[in-house]
Amino acid sequence: MKRRDFLTTGAVSTAGMVFFPGNLLSNTAKTENKKRLVQPLAYKMNDGWKEFELYIDIHIHEPAPGYKYHTLAFNDMIPGPEIRVKAGDKVRVKFINKTDLNHTIHWHGMYVPWRMDGVPFVTQLPVMPKNTFIYEFVAEPEGTHFYHCHWGTLMHMQAGMFGSLIVENDDDPVKKRFPYTREYTLVYSSHDTNYVRDEMNGMLERMKQRSYLMKQGRFNHEQWAVFDNKEQLEQSIENGYLPPYATNRRSNSELPQANWFTVNGKSYPSTPYLFIKEKENIRVRLINAGAETHNLHLHGHDFWMVADDGVPLEHPWKRNTVPLAPGKTYDIIIEGKNRGIWTFHDHDVRKVTNNGLYPGGNLLALVYDDLPEDELIITKHSGNPMLNPNAGKKGMKMDMKSGEKNNMKNMLFGDDKLPKIALDE
Amino acid sequence: MKKMKFYIFILFLSIFTSGILTAQITPEFEIGAKGVVSGNLNINSEESNAVSDFSDTQLLLGLKQKLYNSWRSDFVVGFQFPDANSNLGQVYFNNVFIKVEDQKNIFKIGRSTALTILNEFPTLRDDDAMKFIYTLNPFSNGDNTERDQYANVLEYTRIVKQRILVSLHGENFYNNSSPDDFKLNSMGFALQYKIPESQKWNRNFLQDIGISFNNYFTNNNSIESSLKYLIFSTTLNLKPDPVNFIDFKFQSIYNFGLDEVTNIADYSDYTRSKSTSLFGMIRYIKQKYERLDYQISVGAGYRTFTDTDTDQLIFVGNAFYRLGENFDIGVQYRYIKNNGIAKTLFGESENRVQLAFVYSFDKIFNKQFDDRNSILNLEHKYIK
Repeated sequence: MKRRDFLTTGAVSTAGMVFFPGNLLSNTAKTENKKRLVQPLAYKMNDGWKEFELYIDIHIHEPAPGYKYHTLAFNDMIPGPEIRVKAGDKVRVKFINKTDLNHTIHWHGMYVPWRMDGVPFVTQLPVMPKNTFIYEFVAEPEGTHFYHCHWGTLMHMQAGMFGSLIVENDDDPVKKRFPYTREYTLVYSSHDTNYVRDEMNGMLERMKQRSYLMKQGRFNHEQWAVFDNKEQLEQSIENGYLPPYATNRRSNSELPQANWFTVNGKSYPSTPYLFIKEKENIRVRLINAGAETHNLHLHGHDFWMVADDGVPLEHPWKRNTVPLAPGKTYDIIIEGKNRGIWTFHDHDVRKVTNNGLYPGGNLLALVYDDLPEDELIITKHSGNPMLNPNAGKKGMKMDMKSGEKNNMKNMLFGDDKLPKIALDE
Repeated sequence: MKKMKFYIFILFLSIFTSGILTAQITPEFEIGAKGVVSGNLNINSEESNAVSDFSDTQLLLGLKQKLYNSWRSDFVVGFQFPDANSNLGQVYFNNVFIKVEDQKNIFKIGRSTALTILNEFPTLRDDDAMKFIYTLNPFSNGDNTERDQYANVLEYTRIVKQRILVSLHGENFYNNSSPDDFKLNSMGFALQYKIPESQKWNRNFLQDIGISFNNYFTNNNSIESSLKYLIFSTTLNLKPDPVNFIDFKFQSIYNFGLDEVTNIADYSDYTRSKSTSLFGMIRYIKQKYERLDYQISVGAGYRTFTDTDTDQLIFVGNAFYRLGENFDIGVQYRYIKNNGIAKTLFGESENRVQLAFVYSFDKIFNKQFDDRNSILNLEHKYIK
């Protein structure tokens, strides 16, 4: 290591902070933020059908700078791309499995034909390695929904196999009552990356053996743990088959315990920003594709609850904290009534952590992009009389010698500007 | 005893100072345990029968964490119960080492197995075919096998293209005539091609192949007059099938011998005489419901000494049946025949039957990162 690198590392660990020079109000910040939002999936029209293509593959994901892990991803992104259609559209999704694992796609909240529901061994056989499955359905009902893998769901969902599915209504009651032009989709999840890694390695090893036996026609229901009926299972147990749950293959300490909490696949400080202007309404579609409840709280505002599981609410109501349970979707409207930069985060602060360290996780910010830059200057508006002589009531002015003033500059932790990114509080 | 105190001192020092200097990072910790308990029936042997022989039972603790710049470190402490007549006491610390590694480099320092064997044979205990599969420590009086298997090592391995391992190593093997001498008394290098563990079963033919060249400095650190060994080893898949798997393991050791040793009068001469060893084992593994069911192995070895009319023969056969996860019952039969001077040193022949229970366990707790040889790291880009 070069001496210079060492000094940098030392400074980071001592001060516990990393400074990012970006200005949230700049165009650069807004352009960069687009990468943190869900990405739309393009379609082709074919004989009245909107045709989409989703593939699944193994991917290296970086939820926050400096931390990477192997995971699964639709179309090489987490979450998978957003499918956005109109209510009543005929939708065809070609699903290509590029991995050596089994998968399906379940369309969560959608009225699809039952053979398109994506539940392995209930509505379809799993999509085997290197196989394709064509899902077809009519887009209904309207609202905020999502899709996810339904094979090995415990692992595959937290491994990143989820994405948003928005069914738009041209006669949207939400838009009528709260006119808006900008909207955001936020897909929440939680991940035990150590569990994901271990399970993926184990499954890949097992699948290599299974594929080998399958090709030779030697793979049977006991090896796959798939049975036609209960009698067949019981007969196999009589013959020496041990159901996986009968042995202590996974002790309590090895059960998944999420250590990363993401919004759109990213954790703070990579989480997206929600931009708003004064007097503007924005619609935020909240989706919980993970296995933990997130008690989401917005600072400085109440927001309108306008849809629950995609169903528009006849009587929207106001709140500032919403418990987003696993599998739930909520739509909220935020009114631009209190300019500034406001955090929006899980109030179960164990989930505002990265690998157990606060701050991190699903912490993100609502940013007024018409905020005067002047308000970002720390010394102009700080309540600390040592930084801002005009703080509080008159008469609190502090006399400082020039040396002390220099020390005050050091307390700014870099530029005289907010916000900063602090990684170790 | 001095060394033991030294290791304990280092252990406490590292724990103590790391607590003072910095916030603790909880490492991964690995626990490995192997319990081997057998009843031994010896026929025509100098060794007595045993009601319960628990030698080779061992416990291993490893602490592992990420370092800066993609390196990882490993601190391992392990001990085993040696043979009762080994003169090693009740417990022998066979592993006390630190390993520092990244994707392509491994540095190891401390007490550990030496690279004087290139293969692992499926015998009940690691030393069941000792004289045929290890280059024997020429500084030892032959009281025990641990001082052939383990040494204070200094080792560097470079990994090329995931499969090729090039190692340079130096050792301090225990010297019976100078027990307080901790200087380097052995050096060598090894070149191996090895398939990662997770992929061994589905290779068409070759699992691993390697050669190793070793020098024991039996004469004042002079390489010219050192005792030299050449090892060749390979493992071949005869039936690469996950349910019915058969492989063949083979190793040969050529001992160049010391010119001045033309007769074998004692154990020291035995290790320093020109000789050739060949040893091979065929193993069949049956898997049922994606779990190990049973394993049957048979093997044989032959060792001949060029300058004297001496040779040795070994036959080993064993079978293990899995009673439950981590737990096996097994039976092993071993026959050894000694001719020439080896008969004087070790007796004419020996038949040994062992009935054993084996418990083996290896688990990593507080996992934080992946192994170099995992499928994800091998096939889907290595994550530093």
